[in-house]
Amino acid sequence: MRRRSLLLLRHACLAMLSCAMLVPFYWVVKTAITGENIYAYPPRILPQNPHLFNFVDVWYLIPFPRYLLNSLIVSALVVAGNVVLNAMAGYALTKNFAGKQAVLLLLLSSMLVPFQATIIPAYLITARLGLLNSYLGLALPLLSAIVCIFIFKAAFEAVPQSLIDAARIDGLGEARIVLLVLMPLSKAAVATNVILAFIWSWNAFLWPLIITRDPSMQTLPLGLARFLSYLEDTTGALYAFAVMVLAPSIFVFLMAQKEFIRGLTSGATKG
Amino acid sequence: MRLPDWAKSRWVVVPLSAAACIAAWNGYVVLNAGGVVEGRVVDGAGRPVPGATVILLERNFITHNERQRTTTDAAGRFRFTGNDNHSLQLEAESAPLGRSDRRLVRLMFRAENVTLAEPLRFAGRLP
Repeated sequence: MRRRSLLLLRHACLAMLSCAMLVPFYWVVKTAITGENIYAYPPRILPQNPHLFNFVDVWYLIPFPRYLLNSLIVSALVVAGNVVLNAMAGYALTKNFAGKQAVLLLLLSSMLVPFQATIIPAYLITARLGLLNSYLGLALPLLSAIVCIFIFKAAFEAVPQSLIDAARIDGLGEARIVLLVLMPLSKAAVATNVILAFIWSWNAFLWPLIITRDPSMQTLPLGLARFLSYLEDTTGALYAFAVMVLAPSIFVFLMAQKEFIRGLTSGATKG
Repeated sequence: MRLPDWAKSRWVVVPLSAAACIAAWNGYVVLNAGGVVEGRVVDGAGRPVPGATVILLERNFITHNERQRTTTDAAGRFRFTGNDNHSLQLEAESAPLGRSDRRLVRLMFRAENVTLAEPLRFAGRLP
């Protein structure tokens, strides 16, 4: 009986903590469906006269569908690039070769360099490739992430070597071993890559700001900044825009949360 | 009939459900996007006001600009066609009664057919 009470108490505390962490999200959604002044005192907990017209305003007052399409295209490129390139790099790092430790050290130390520090060379390279103001140019710096390479490396190392040897005896080449043996056994790592790549590209602001010249090539975060500069007094519409920007990444996370958490925790226990 | 496992995956079910919802909504929009705005104009006593001029103003980013005018019939009814905006304001004016309050009409999509639930009301009464 005492044990059950303790369990209930623990779950009640956890539920309250979870609710507390969701309060900012609730407040954003509440403001989006009411347009209430966020500084109003005393604040209202429940929405008064909720409606969806702020979302309609956002859809029509700015080229929201165009921004959405741009963000979707760039995110799709980034997700595809991350899954393919990181899997290849992760597989290579499971092999023993001369200078492997140096490569690992280089990759790890590269993680310490912030993107802002490399943005000028990245811009110059993209310009030299003729990819400014293009979808591929928007996706280029995000096509591979070192963290995700290590997630794939950890997942591939967990696959028994005997399976890979058996596949090789059956005549599979390295690419088909990755594609047909390792990837199906590393779904958690793939899901983690998909989610992280999607969220990073979806929320990217600085790189798209620098590389896009044409307003029709802008992505949603840039649209949000532009919207804010136009309509700084329309709190409801602004929060509605924020909800519309957030919704796809929340959907992707909810769809893959189990694999995402499994992918991160399985990587965390590896040396 | 058994569905294959991949068809029951969240990665298939959720996007397909979202696509179905979007398709249904677009169907509804196509069927109801006639651009018709109609309603009634009454005086302070609730009697219809014939011959009143009703002005339709449409939202242009942060301001509302006049787009159309029409006149009410003997029953105080008015009807606009060809509206292609999602946020409107309606106002009635009549020589003996002055101007009514300006009514904000927000639509769920551009050119949605709408009939005002509450009529435009003048403060004064017809003689």
